[in-house]
Amino acid sequence: MNYPVWDVSFGAGLLIAMVATLHVFVSHFAVGGGLFLVLTEHRARRRGDTELLAWLKRHTRFFVLVTVVFGAISGVGIWFTIGLISPTATSDLIHIFVWGWAIEWIFFCLEIASALLYYYGWDKLSPARHMEFGWIYFISSYLSLVIINGIITFMLTSGAWPENHNFWRGFFNPTYLPSLVFRTAICLALAGVYALITASVQKDKALRARIVRWSALWTIPSLAVLPACGWWYIRSIPPYVWQNARGMMPTASRFAGFAWVLLIVVFVLALLTLVRPAKIHLAFSLLVAVVAFGAMASFEFVRESIRLPYVISNYLYANSLYAATIPGDGGFSLAEVQAAGILPSAKWVSIHSITPTNQLAAGQQIFRVSCESCHTENSYRGLAPAIVQHQWDLAKITVLIGGINFMHNGVMPPFAGSSEERAALAAYLHSLAPVSTQATESITDGKAVFQHNCMMCHEVSATDPLFVNLDKDPKTAADSLKDLTTIFPLMPDLKLTAEQRTNLVGWINTQRRGMNFSAAAQGGN
Amino acid sequence: MLQTNLVPSLDPNPLPAPYWLLKALLIATFTFHIVAMNLMLGGGVVALLTRWRAKDREVSKRMFHDIAKKIPILLPATISLGIAPLLFVQVLYGQFFYTSSILMAWPWFLVLVLLTVAYYGFYYVSYESGQDTRRAGAVMYLSVLLVFLIGFLFTNNITLSQTPARWGAKYFASAGGWHLNLSEPTLIPRYLHFFVAAVAVGGLLLVFMAWANWKRDRVYAGQLLSFGGKTFLYATMTQFVVGIVFLFTLPLDKRMLFMGSDPVATGLFLVGVVGGLASIFLMSHAVQQENIRLAGIGVPAITACVIVAMSIMRDILRDAYLKPYYDPSKIPVQTQTSVLALFLGLFVCGVVVWVVMLWRYGMFDGKAAAAPKSPAGGAQPE
Repeated sequence: MNYPVWDVSFGAGLLIAMVATLHVFVSHFAVGGGLFLVLTEHRARRRGDTELLAWLKRHTRFFVLVTVVFGAISGVGIWFTIGLISPTATSDLIHIFVWGWAIEWIFFCLEIASALLYYYGWDKLSPARHMEFGWIYFISSYLSLVIINGIITFMLTSGAWPENHNFWRGFFNPTYLPSLVFRTAICLALAGVYALITASVQKDKALRARIVRWSALWTIPSLAVLPACGWWYIRSIPPYVWQNARGMMPTASRFAGFAWVLLIVVFVLALLTLVRPAKIHLAFSLLVAVVAFGAMASFEFVRESIRLPYVISNYLYANSLYAATIPGDGGFSLAEVQAAGILPSAKWVSIHSITPTNQLAAGQQIFRVSCESCHTENSYRGLAPAIVQHQWDLAKITVLIGGINFMHNGVMPPFAGSSEERAALAAYLHSLAPVSTQATESITDGKAVFQHNCMMCHEVSATDPLFVNLDKDPKTAADSLKDLTTIFPLMPDLKLTAEQRTNLVGWINTQRRGMNFSAAAQGGN
Repeated sequence: MLQTNLVPSLDPNPLPAPYWLLKALLIATFTFHIVAMNLMLGGGVVALLTRWRAKDREVSKRMFHDIAKKIPILLPATISLGIAPLLFVQVLYGQFFYTSSILMAWPWFLVLVLLTVAYYGFYYVSYESGQDTRRAGAVMYLSVLLVFLIGFLFTNNITLSQTPARWGAKYFASAGGWHLNLSEPTLIPRYLHFFVAAVAVGGLLLVFMAWANWKRDRVYAGQLLSFGGKTFLYATMTQFVVGIVFLFTLPLDKRMLFMGSDPVATGLFLVGVVGGLASIFLMSHAVQQENIRLAGIGVPAITACVIVAMSIMRDILRDAYLKPYYDPSKIPVQTQTSVLALFLGLFVCGVVVWVVMLWRYGMFDGKAAAAPKSPAGGAQPE
């Protein structure tokens, strides 16, 4: 609301994801690959393996072309992109961590300089001095990871920072260390994954086999320790945040599943390289790289998703409103906007009050400043398809916006507007995908009623309040669902037909039969 | 429409160091960035100019190849040195910079794509220019063209960030991020001012190469000095025309800053003019007399002073544009002493490591330029 919103029709979030996942896949290689270069050189020289050394020189060229060019530009690219899509968060992170970024810049400059000297020094320097540059490269690139890791993890777990605003408390936050170890293992694994690519195009089969076996020494142990590192990482994340990746949030849960599965696949593929190492084909090594990319991208998706509704945990919501009112927030805290209204607060809207004639246009502007940082109309996280899928009519959309912060384990920030603004936004969303009340009411199957109306907040589980507390008597239960706000004041005021209520209760009761409530209650305690 | 109030509020986090320090770092790092950029882009342009050089085709090919080999080093230097000013401009002028970037989001995003293609192009040319000069030449044209375009997009963004009055009309016409700042009268002269400076500094790159070859291959060095020196001369003379046009496209109050109303700005402007004239005089003397020390030390030293003066003038101009919207004295400051001290300490260490690296590489004893001795540990040359 403070900044203009770039209207990316296919989804701003998708654009960030594309730039960021490509960058991390290269930048982690840039770190692990540096150690790989210098240790491989050491090994080759110690063994007098001139073929390996000649390959390593070619691999250095590949390394420089991938990391110094693409890695560096895509790193700047993340900055460009987040500044375009989340300017408020970027501005916060820049101001909080100016000196962290500046220190990272020092290491980055050393990294680039030493990489180029190592590359151009192959034919010019004595072996000892050449390796010296390799070590400087690796150390400076690792230190840049040490710095950036503090800022990335701060976004997920800001720790005590929101209370004391101390740089070091924010930097060395609860997930700092597990994330650093986790990413270090990824760096080492990727060094081996990328080495397979240049190894597979070697004509000398014996050399190819030597490199493949050597790269497996990097990939396999690193991948093997990743689950333990991941477990430590997960344990450091507050449990209510991690809940998002355990079924409560569809995106996070899906990608958490992908990450584990793809990790196993890449591990198996890495083992398979040892079966016939001399015959590794380029296509196979690229397959390994693609699967590794998928695993890593999935992990980054999970990390980005579970911190929702925040973009900086407990500080800034994904829609760029501050969670608490802070001096100097410009009136852009949730409470301040709730008091004043979205349209009067927002700078970058052309409509500042709603009239009977401008309701849809006002709704569109509210959508842009409140929703578009994550959602699109029809594409990435598109709302029109969701409305059609769940068959939400205008009344339901209006009700759901009011309780949007309860959806999927609280993954969305609360709606900050007035009831008039809520009606305008609902009218606009309804205009994107008009679902009639008749269509909404025609859904009568119990399971479908649950999926269309309850599943956003409730899960089919012996710990879920709906399944625990709903009255045993079907008629009393169905009646209790007439007015949801009497059950719990924050429930959305959804109106179901009598038939829908009866069938819903019937379906819930069939589900409850298989549930072990006492075990779940003990587990909860 | 309340377009007067579009400038975003600052975020609530105080500046982590005094304003003057951040400003000094912004100007200093920008100056280094712009020098590297000038050498890179200017080098690219001069490399293309060698292809138009009628005299001695073999020498021209050699020059082209020698310059082409340097660009893949100058481009990462430009990017690395550009990150710091990109950081500090966000620290001090974020609310202007982010907004203008969002208005021209797609072209701004495109910078990344263009830069990647240009960068790989420069690498290709550096590998291939020894063999296939026609194709390498074509790729060089493309890469230089892309870097031109990047510079043009930068000028669009910076001028747009300084003119908030234009924002509303653009954004409310379309939020798709496809705007540029083409209606800005200073856009083209400002852009040309940077571009012509780059060509002049590209000429200096040849002078430095002449110096490196002075004892080893005097004839070639003389050719480099002559071609580089003349490029510098013509570009600097052109700069006077471009500079005057730029000055007169500025709004009157901004123009007068450099013509008397602000003593510092006027003094810097004089440094620029006198420095420019002095460098023309000295370079023409150096080329005629084949005085490599004058061309390689005297002229670059004066040029460096001019570039520093220009960087400060650029900053004064920005603050003049933003004066109605921006009061730095109102920004809260809370110095993060421990981290700042760590940064300064590491910065000094970083510079030391960097110098030691170059020294141990042999950059200061001419070894780097010498022919390869023995291939490292028997590694086969490619």
